[in-house]
Amino acid sequence: MKKGKCCKCSLGRKLGRLIAKLLGLILLGNVALFIVFFFDLDGKLLFKVVEPLLKKHYDNMDRKDTLKAPYDMDKYPSYEYEV
Amino acid sequence: MAKKKVDIKKLARDFWHGKPHGERRLGELYEDKTGLYKHREWRGVKDTLYYFYMIWLYNYIFMVKDIMEMGGPLNFAKGVWRYRWVGQTYLPVLHWFDRGMEGMRGEALRASAWHYRGMVNETIRQFQRMFVADTKLHGGKKTDAWYHTMAHNETVWGGIFYPWSDHFDNVAMEMIPYFVTCHVNCHTVHNYIDAVQSIGLPGDPCPMCQAESGLFVMDDMPDYAPFMITSNEACDASVATSILQDWFYDKPLFAMPQPMQFDDPLVQQHCRREIEECWKFIEEQTGVPFNWDQLVKKLRLQNQLQEFEREKWEVAGKTSSYPINGVAQALYRIYYSQDGDRAIWHFCDKKVRKILEKCVSKKINTFPKTRHRVIAWSCAPLYYSHWCTWAYNCWGLNVIINMDSLMFDMSIRTDTYDHCLDDMATYHMWAPMRRMAVGGMHHIFELWEYMEKFNCDFVMMYDQLQCKGMQGVHGLFEDEFRTRNVPAIWMPHALPDSRTVSRAEIRRIVNDYMTTVMHEEPLDPSLLDFDDSMSW
Repeated sequence: MKKGKCCKCSLGRKLGRLIAKLLGLILLGNVALFIVFFFDLDGKLLFKVVEPLLKKHYDNMDRKDTLKAPYDMDKYPSYEYEV
Repeated sequence: MAKKKVDIKKLARDFWHGKPHGERRLGELYEDKTGLYKHREWRGVKDTLYYFYMIWLYNYIFMVKDIMEMGGPLNFAKGVWRYRWVGQTYLPVLHWFDRGMEGMRGEALRASAWHYRGMVNETIRQFQRMFVADTKLHGGKKTDAWYHTMAHNETVWGGIFYPWSDHFDNVAMEMIPYFVTCHVNCHTVHNYIDAVQSIGLPGDPCPMCQAESGLFVMDDMPDYAPFMITSNEACDASVATSILQDWFYDKPLFAMPQPMQFDDPLVQQHCRREIEECWKFIEEQTGVPFNWDQLVKKLRLQNQLQEFEREKWEVAGKTSSYPINGVAQALYRIYYSQDGDRAIWHFCDKKVRKILEKCVSKKINTFPKTRHRVIAWSCAPLYYSHWCTWAYNCWGLNVIINMDSLMFDMSIRTDTYDHCLDDMATYHMWAPMRRMAVGGMHHIFELWEYMEKFNCDFVMMYDQLQCKGMQGVHGLFEDEFRTRNVPAIWMPHALPDSRTVSRAEIRRIVNDYMTTVMHEEPLDPSLLDFDDSMSW
């Protein structure tokens, strides 16, 4: 009987600790996200790091020379419908 | 030296409720040039937490969810790597929210943000559909999605495709690669304008047409559909866009231009015939017959959106409890009325209805610092659509309604095929930039009726410097403003091109008018002059 009570107590304590840890983690996550939000760290990262890298990539991309494509005006039938 | 006394009570009040309007000094939050925030605005505990959880975090989470559900992260990553317009533009989308909702509080903040959420969801749907179907991202393979997607110009109303909407999806070619990019990151579009000029097009036609053609010159248009429907985008310069698109896209094309004249029964007949011809073309291309029941079902859903819009306008016109700011009203309305019925619009309208009803029943004054009720007329600067937010914060100029919102003020009858086609033809003819911009004197001068209806006392007159149509009526408006004794500011701009008239120049023009003509003092002097030349 006594032994069983102890088991329950320790299980309860473990569960309590786990919940406290989870709550702590959630709180920490919220605080971290709030700091990112409030100090516009997402904007700063995108503006100062991500966008310049992407721009560099787009500027150096190989692109098809679209002007070399022939303008086949008669390739498709002319669509004339009687309605 | 005497120490400045700290008012603890006031500090606590400012912390809890946020600073009152006149003390916010929002201009001091910006980093010089970039427009990034030193820190985002503290709006009081309740509104800051709302913004953090229900706007910033909510939208980041749901953007990821949307991408997972609509085509997956791999297609998104491929699209970002391949197309400048998505990578350079849509990653900083939360800054677009920030700019549109600066200084907003309470119900105005909430309702405006729901409008933005709707647009973000629909934008993701469109670009993800393009990427899923795109042969360029799939080694030239034509997937099932490619065969089941229809491409069209952004001013071909999405309703044209309703009869096939149970089996096919339609995506406008330019709405996401061009139109929405200008609002979110105004620099992206410059690449496309420059591209088309680099092949010899002169710089003076409308920069919208230039940018839309530039997408094709740069080979930056996904190949996501077997055929396309074009229009003249209700503007003569766009006829040239269609020619370039026909050349570079090289697909079966059906041209359905908006007529240059309307309010004419013969033109109406012509337009009806063109819509029917278009439907025949789609039947031929897809092998799937026209579905009347599906068309009726979708039109009725779209009519529900229109009915709610009218309820919103009723509140906007007759009360000071309208909770949607000028930029959210304008962008959401033109987006869905052109795009057509989608589930997300109904979802957002439901949320907004709740807020609207609360505002009306509790008689909440949603924009308490309003000094002037403004109607904005003609086509707006896409790179500075959030000028309305700035103008309210700085001068108390509250934009109640704008021309683009009012263009499609119609429900479409579905009782008979004949009525339905008649109304669809009218809807098609009332395209953006047609009815009230270059659509004839009667419609352009509807301004005066709407001023009265929305109880406005001030006009912001957009002056698109490269729109030959509107340039022609400049003097007529000047005369009318004088005769009617209406305060009006001409706001010059070049639609998407922020290099012609900068945002700072627009602010300077408004500031000059408000001080020299209206003799008013700014509500927030820190917003009078700041450098945001590098800002998104």
